[in-house]
Amino acid sequence: MSAQAWTQVAAAFAFAALASGLAWRLKLGLGSGIALAAVRATVQLAVVGLVIAVIYEHPPLAVAFVAAMLLTAALTSGGRLHAVHGSRIWAAVAIGLPALSATGLLLAVGAFEATPQAAIPTAGILIGGAMAATTLTGRRLIEALHDEQDAIEARLSLGDDVRSAVAPLVRRAVTTGLVPAIDQTRSVGLVSLPGTFVGLILGGATPETAARVQLVVLLALLAVELLAGLLIALTIVRRVTEPGAERINPPALG
Amino acid sequence: MLAAVPGPSISTALATGGVSATDLWLSRGGREILRGARLEVPRACVTALIAPSGAGKSTLLRCVTRLLDPDRGTITVGGQDVQTIPPRELRRRVGLVAQRATMFPGTVGDNVAYALEGVGPAHDRVRQAIEAAGLVGDWASRAADELSGGEQARVAIARALVRDPEVLLLDEPTAALDHETGELVGATLRRLAEDGIGICLAIHDLPFARRFADRAVHLDGSDATEAGRDEAPAA
Ligand SMILES: Nc1ncnc2c1ncn2[C@@H]1O[C@H](COP(=O)(O)OP(=O)(O)OP(=O)(O)O)[C@@H](O)[C@H]1O
Ligand SMILES: [Mg+2]
Repeated sequence: MSAQAWTQVAAAFAFAALASGLAWRLKLGLGSGIALAAVRATVQLAVVGLVIAVIYEHPPLAVAFVAAMLLTAALTSGGRLHAVHGSRIWAAVAIGLPALSATGLLLAVGAFEATPQAAIPTAGILIGGAMAATTLTGRRLIEALHDEQDAIEARLSLGDDVRSAVAPLVRRAVTTGLVPAIDQTRSVGLVSLPGTFVGLILGGATPETAARVQLVVLLALLAVELLAGLLIALTIVRRVTEPGAERINPPALG
Repeated sequence: MLAAVPGPSISTALATGGVSATDLWLSRGGREILRGARLEVPRACVTALIAPSGAGKSTLLRCVTRLLDPDRGTITVGGQDVQTIPPRELRRRVGLVAQRATMFPGTVGDNVAYALEGVGPAHDRVRQAIEAAGLVGDWASRAADELSGGEQARVAIARALVRDPEVLLLDEPTAALDHETGELVGATLRRLAEDGIGICLAIHDLPFARRFADRAVHLDGSDATEAGRDEAPAA
């Protein structure tokens, strides 16, 4: 490693030691938590760095890496939606379908190069965004289905089918799920510099390139997150609808 | 009225299209909620369903419009098994006014016109339904979610009325009403019954049932007319 590399690692650990020491002195009960998080991050990033280095040598392995990211995202999001039967599988569909389609599209039209260097971060960002939207939309919808049974039954009693009876809840859940993505897009550059931009700049790209790539990512995220939210919402509605009976079995909360 | 005006016989009810539920069993979460419940709601007649709190009145009414299915037992509407009637048609024929009224966004008129295709909130039918439910005056343009509980209860009744049901099930319709408004709604229900609709009130208020119902029954189908003493609600 170069001298600069050693300095980077040393600086990182100095900050972790400072935070951990301060927490310990102030009896925040966080000292070991901070230290543990720092160690975990070190190990995880070192491993990911190594794995990606291997993938650069053997590009087909990128497919396996993206599949692992998707699996992790589906387990994470699906675990939050476990009130609905088969949630992990449906989360995988809601996350994977839009995120992978968008990645494929961006590579196919040549917006980004079809290399692991471009494909892995693109897929990672889109999968991460879709995961957040899936969790947020799904949880909001499950809570609403549970809390608003009276309103749903009132609509059903007036002759609505299940789809119309839950439409206001679906609309609200999808909107909620998209709020962070919209806010992030609106405030970009003003409140924070997003990761893609920072990474490209630090890596030596021109500000113009960094801004352009960041824009592509942000706008793709909007579409991907909206689709992910819609997919998980429609899936949840279908899972709690009793076929033929025009009524729902509200999911238990937990 | 209970003793003075006997309702039509059950066989008449079936011939002319009322609700008939026999031997309903339903348990949820390991608890038996309905144990052999029965209910006859003949048309052109007001039936009061009298049972203590928690006995399963709401559950039984929700079974009739298939918001729930019993584990066992048969429910017919006009002699037709509800399982064979498409749910949306069933709910057009049998109106259910739930125990807790929920207002949809918009005005009273919007709420009442909700289920009517091509009928606006200012339509005559909407106005008539609002009035029939005991909201006399300029109510159609009021915001529904700003109404009092008793006013919302009447909007919920108007919403069901406007669909011209054959049978109207009302779950505790007078719970949020003062005496005067209760009388108004009671009179409306009587008028509807005289027009041929079958009305069923799940109700605690025995004096109200005595004034406005033709028959009063328990959850097991037995006559509650004489039950003033032991069935008077605790709540
Ligand atoms: N989904 C459910 N799961 C478990 N128990 C339930 C469920 N729904 C209702 N119950 C129980 O079934 C019983 C009957 O409820 P129901 O609402 O039908 O009574 P009710 O006669 O309408 O009472 P009230 O006069 O207080 O409205 C109650 O003890 C209630 O706690
Ligand atoms: Mg009840």
